[in-house]
Amino acid sequence: MSTRLATVLRGSRRPPENDSAWLLDPERRGVPGRESMARFAEREEVDMVIVGCGAGGATLAQRLARRGWRIVVLEAGPFWDPDEDWVSDEAGSRHLFWNDPRVIGGSDPVELGKNNSGRGVGGSMVHYAGYVPRFHPSDFEVRSRDGVAADWPISYADLKPHYERVERELPAAGEHWPWGDPHGYPHSPHPVAGGALRAMEGARKIGIEFKVGPVAIANGSFGHRPHCIYRGLCLQGCKVNAKGSPLITHVPDALAHGVEIRDRAQATRIEVDEAGRCTGVTYVVDGVEHHQRAAVVTVAGYSIETPRLLLHSAGPRFPHGLANGNDLVGRGVMVQGAPQVAGRFPEEMRMYKAPPPEICSEQFYETDPARGFVRGFALQTVGPLPIAWAEHVLADGHWGQALREYMRDYNHWYTLGALAELLPRPQNRVTLADESDANGVPVARMDYSQCDNDRANIAAAKQTLHDVLEAAGAQDVLTIDRYAHLVGGCAMSASPEDGVVDSDHRAWEVPNLFVCDGSVMPTQGSANPALTIMALASRLAERLGEGRVRVPGRGTSTSWRKTSNPR
Amino acid sequence: MSEGVGHLPHHGGAEPHEGPPPGLPRQRRGTTPQGYGRYPDFDVLDQVDHWDEVTRRVVLSRLEKIPPIRFFDEREAATLGAFCDTVLAQHSEPRIPVLAMVDAKLHAHQLDGYRYADMPPDGQTWRQVARCLDEEARALRADDFASASQGIRDNVVGRFAEGELAWEGFPVEKAWAVAMRMTLSAFYSHPWAWNEIGFGGPAYPRGFARLGPGQREHWEEPPEFATDPVKDVAERGVEGE
Repeated sequence: MSTRLATVLRGSRRPPENDSAWLLDPERRGVPGRESMARFAEREEVDMVIVGCGAGGATLAQRLARRGWRIVVLEAGPFWDPDEDWVSDEAGSRHLFWNDPRVIGGSDPVELGKNNSGRGVGGSMVHYAGYVPRFHPSDFEVRSRDGVAADWPISYADLKPHYERVERELPAAGEHWPWGDPHGYPHSPHPVAGGALRAMEGARKIGIEFKVGPVAIANGSFGHRPHCIYRGLCLQGCKVNAKGSPLITHVPDALAHGVEIRDRAQATRIEVDEAGRCTGVTYVVDGVEHHQRAAVVTVAGYSIETPRLLLHSAGPRFPHGLANGNDLVGRGVMVQGAPQVAGRFPEEMRMYKAPPPEICSEQFYETDPARGFVRGFALQTVGPLPIAWAEHVLADGHWGQALREYMRDYNHWYTLGALAELLPRPQNRVTLADESDANGVPVARMDYSQCDNDRANIAAAKQTLHDVLEAAGAQDVLTIDRYAHLVGGCAMSASPEDGVVDSDHRAWEVPNLFVCDGSVMPTQGSANPALTIMALASRLAERLGEGRVRVPGRGTSTSWRKTSNPR
Repeated sequence: MSEGVGHLPHHGGAEPHEGPPPGLPRQRRGTTPQGYGRYPDFDVLDQVDHWDEVTRRVVLSRLEKIPPIRFFDEREAATLGAFCDTVLAQHSEPRIPVLAMVDAKLHAHQLDGYRYADMPPDGQTWRQVARCLDEEARALRADDFASASQGIRDNVVGRFAEGELAWEGFPVEKAWAVAMRMTLSAFYSHPWAWNEIGFGGPAYPRGFARLGPGQREHWEEPPEFATDPVKDVAERGVEGE
C-alpha cells in the first residue's frame, strides 16, 4: 500500500483475527462474555494450561484459541471490571499491584510491587504507562556487537511481523519512528501537554530529537473503545478503556473462542510424571487446592513469579527445580535504570493532565564508543501524580517545610525520565526465601546489584535529562533515582547450557513446558517491554498453531483442529 | 534564572521557621492542612459531582472516617504522631491525620509488595523507629521525642533523613525510606493536600481539555503569592542559581 493511502486509512483498519475491541460493550467497561465463558472439567486434559493472564499469557491464549486449542488460564488476581474495581485515584489503586510479600536484597535492591508487578487479568499492562516501543535490531545481538550480555536465539526479523500485528491490535499511536528499524504506527500521534512541548523545544536546541508516542492508546475511537479523555491516570488502570491492556485487547476475543480464565487462582506447583513431562498445574482458590490436567503447561507469570513457580516445583525428578538442571532459573533478572529529573517552569504545566507517556527519544539507545560504556538509554516523559511527586521531592533530599514548598509548586513542574539498559548478570537472581506465603509456598527473593557499566549508563542518562530541561528553560531541577520494568530470569538461548528455554520458549529439560512472558528475554534494550512480550507470545502461538513446534506425547484426545470463527 | 522561584528551597526559600511559611496566603475556600496554600480559592471537593461514584466513595472516605489507632500502642503513637507532624511540617490544626492512616494500613496488613532482606516487616520497622526517635531525643536531654522542642525534633529528623544516625543492627536509610513512603502516601492522598497544591483530583468521566502551557480548566484556579517572590528575593538579598 502506498504511504499516502496508508495515511488516509490510519485508524480505520480493523486488525486481522482479533475482534476484541468490537466485542466490548459500548455502554460499560467490563469485558462481556464472562458469564457464558467456556468451563472445562479439572480432570479433563485440556490442550494447554497457562499460568498468568498478562501480556504473554493472554496473547498466547487468544491466538491459540483461534486455532481451536482448548485452553485454561489461571490468574492469581481478579478478573477486573474497570467500572467497579478501578478508581480515578492514586492511593486507591494499590490493589492493581502484586502486594504479596517478597524479599529484596543485593547492593542495589529493586523495590517491587507498585511500578513493576501487576496482578489480575491484564497483568502489569493494566497499570503500565502505555509506551509500546519496539526493540532495536541490535538488542538481539548484544554479545556479538558489544561483547557483553547475550545474543538472542532469534532476531528482530523473527519478531517484526508480530510487532506490526500487535501494534494494530493495541492499537499503537505515534509519529513515524526514525530509530532502530524505522517504521510507522497505525494511529496518528496524540496531542501533547505543555511540559512535553517545552521539553521538545529545549531538546531541539541542543540537537536532541523527540517524537510523539508510541503509546497503546487509540487516537479516535477503536471498535467499542472510546477516545482517551487525557485524565492522566494511565498508571492507575484506564477506566475509559482507551489505553490498551490484554484485558481489552486480547481477553474478549479469547473468551469468544472458548478460553476459560479462572481468576483468583494462585498456581502453587507444576506437576510432573515419571517420564519428566508436565501433567498439569496445582493451584489454590480461596484456600482450597485444585488441579488442572493439561497436555502442555505454559508459565506466563513474569520475571519474579515464573522462576518462583519453577523453583518450587522441584521433585524427585527435578531436585533443584523444574527446568533448573543447569542452575539458570531466576538468573539474569533485569530492571532498567529509570532516573527522573523534573524541571520548574514559569508557566503552570499541571503535569497531572494528559497521559504520562507523551514523547520519546531513542537517539542515545545504541552503543556510542565515545561515552565509555556499552548500550544506551531512551528518554521519555512521566507525569507523577501528587504521591509520586512527593517521593520525587523526598528523593532530592527535602522534608518538612522544604518538601511542602516543593509540593505546593507542583503545577509549575514537568518531569522527564530515562530508561537505561542495565546488563544481565548471573548473580542478579530470583530465589526462594525462607518465609512462606498464606498457601505455604516460599516467597520470592530478588537480589540485584549494578555493575560499573550500569552506573555509567544511568549517570549519562541523568545528565542528558538535566541538559534537556536546562535547554528548555527550567528554573530549578529535582532528581530521583529509580528502576523500571522487570525482565529476564528464564532466558531463551541457542543451547541448553546458556539458558532455560529454547527459541520456541520450550524448557530445555521438559518437552511440554513453555515459558511465555518477559522472563525469557536475554537482554532488555532501553524499550518498555510490553509490546515485545506480546510479540513473542504472538510468534510462539503461530509456531505452535502451525505445528512448527512439535509437542511429543500430546494427548490423542485433542484434534488440534483449526477452526473458523465459531460465532 | 531565579525569577519567580525565590520561594523554592534550592533558591533560598523555606528555611525552617516557626509558624506559617512567609508569603503564603490563608486559604479562603475549602480546607488545607494548617489553613494555608498556594490556591486560596480552590477547593477540589467542589468537583465531587463530576467524579464517578466508585472514586467518590474511596476519596471521601478519607475525610469521613478517621480510624482509631489499633496497631501502635499509646507511647508509639505519641512518638510517631510527632514524627509525622515534623516531617510534614504539620505544626498546627487543621492536620491531616497521617498517623491514623498509617496505623490503619499496618493494622490491615496492607503491605507494599516487598521487604528489604536486612529489614524487619514494615510494622516492626515503624515500632523500632519510635524507640530510636525517643532515644535520640533523650540523648539531647528531652524526656522523649513527642515532648521535645521543635528544634530538637527537627535536629533528630534531619539527621535521620541524612542517614547520620547509627541504630544498632538497623539500616537507618532504609528505615527512613519505609517510614516516609507510607507517610507521604497518606498525606498526599488527602483532598486537603490537593487543595494546598492545586491538584485537579479525579477526572473521570470528565477528563481534561486544556493541556497547553499556562492553560487551566474553567474550574481550576491560578496560584497566588501573598508576597511577590521576585520582590521578596530581591529584598532578602537571596542569590539564585
